[in-house]
Amino acid sequence: MSAALRGARVVQGTTLMAGGVEIVCEWPLAAHVRPGQFFQMAVESPGALLRRPYSAAWTDPARGLVGFVFNVVGAGSGWLAARNAGDRIDLLGPLGRGFAIDGGRPAVCVAGGLGIAVFLGLSRALAAWGRSTTILYGARSADQLLPAARFPKTRMQVATDDGSAGHHGRVTALLSGAVVEDADIFACGPTPMLVELARWARAAGVPLARIQVAHETPMGCGVGTCLGCALPCAGGGYLLTCQDGPCLTADLVEWAQLVDAFHG
Amino acid sequence: MGEIDLGVDLGRGLRLRSPVMVASGTFAYGFDAPAVDRAALGAVVTKGTTLRPRHGNAPVRIAETPSGMLNAIGLQNPGVDHVVQAFAPAWARWDLPVIVNVAGDAVGDYVAIARRLDGVPGIAGLELNISCPNVEAGLQFGVDAVLAGRLTQAVRQATSLPLMVKLTPNVTDLVAIARAIADAGADSLSAINTLVGMKIDVRHRRPVLENQVGGLSGPAIRPLAVRAVWEVAAAVSIPVVGIGGIMTAEDALEFLLAGASAVQVGTANYVRPQAVCEIRDGIAAYLAEHGWSTLAELPLRAPVHV
Repeated sequence: MSAALRGARVVQGTTLMAGGVEIVCEWPLAAHVRPGQFFQMAVESPGALLRRPYSAAWTDPARGLVGFVFNVVGAGSGWLAARNAGDRIDLLGPLGRGFAIDGGRPAVCVAGGLGIAVFLGLSRALAAWGRSTTILYGARSADQLLPAARFPKTRMQVATDDGSAGHHGRVTALLSGAVVEDADIFACGPTPMLVELARWARAAGVPLARIQVAHETPMGCGVGTCLGCALPCAGGGYLLTCQDGPCLTADLVEWAQLVDAFHG
Repeated sequence: MGEIDLGVDLGRGLRLRSPVMVASGTFAYGFDAPAVDRAALGAVVTKGTTLRPRHGNAPVRIAETPSGMLNAIGLQNPGVDHVVQAFAPAWARWDLPVIVNVAGDAVGDYVAIARRLDGVPGIAGLELNISCPNVEAGLQFGVDAVLAGRLTQAVRQATSLPLMVKLTPNVTDLVAIARAIADAGADSLSAINTLVGMKIDVRHRRPVLENQVGGLSGPAIRPLAVRAVWEVAAAVSIPVVGIGGIMTAEDALEFLLAGASAVQVGTANYVRPQAVCEIRDGIAAYLAEHGWSTLAELPLRAPVHV
């Protein structure tokens, strides 16, 4: 494991779209960060205690950079979003399992909301393997979409809840038209989206083992000691998102139990 | 600071080279945490261990609260046999005491676990988690002086290992319970376990934790913990180990000055993996600054009785 704990200098902080912020940090070992792995970020806003887990959205190994894209939802993410170039953020990572990206089959990526972040890096990695990639991207409204220009060499189909861009409705409605028979599926987004994806795959006869999900959940430690990030396991018991994931194949998860556990 | 001796004696041969331990449930079984120098630890207190493996609670298991966190993990652990077979042999090679935290539903569970761990190389002591509901009496062992005393006595007779008993603060008279446990043969007391708390998701109008309630830890509970240690340490003659929201050396010193012989650091491990090391160094620096060379020289000022 190449996890390190260090203060990382912020190179740039940018607002990308409504509620979405990108922070770029110096990380000399960026070459060791796999798409889908995450970092635990310390925050210093009053009353905020735990580190915030964020997936590495992309890396630039040559320049030693790692980018993070996240929503400002509370005091902790607000504190991170307010960091300026030259400030330092205390990072622990990279942690957990990333996506398995080798292979030659076509790839379909399913993103919900800020789940799109991880596909910035993954789509580049898939392109490097010469894999044909389609991104299905759902958001609440057009102003919350990450610009498609950030995904060169990638087809994108959009769905919005309010119909202000692309398909009017859920992103999972685009699955049947986009998933070719031998495709591998990669998904990151709200838990209800992942649950719906698993339900669709069962109905469509797509093996769950061909779907890799990046599961996002509150975390305590991020390293397997607090057991706070439990994910129901298909064989009974629980997986730990931080150690067994956050990227794992959908056949390992007991999706029915998740419907009740994570809501909205 | 070579002349500073941070060693402490917690009774029955349990000697620590530093007074700063990692608290149960925040360090698993000592194998997972990256960026932690084991040589800096006074001891590892393991995850609560039961007779048989437990899957734990359904998610959501944790929630952040102001300067604190709630947890309802549900004692997920691999069971005592796995601990003895898979973990203890590695611990026996460490230059670090490992104290196994023990949990159960009945006196017989605790006794069976204590017997199983007695004499196993690599295990330096036991910490009893008495915040578990007693299936026979229908309430927690730790909330009743008679039950807590009986449990301590039964475990005392089942093992020659050093025995620390972890007090729950969710009681009306902590001192009476502490006295009963000390009288029943415990070698040390640790205080405090988490306080029972709750957080409601207003948007979805339901408890955040699947278990509805959980244990509150972190700096939010520190003043309550310092007060508990102050009262308990004045009432018993065995060592008291202070626990509750310790993030810095200054926090740890509050407990030591309140009468604790040592401390455990829990939630801070999640936030700053080097916290235990920094706290140890900070305590040593404080002693050096005042010209003291051992913890025994820390002047505990007499409680002001009103």
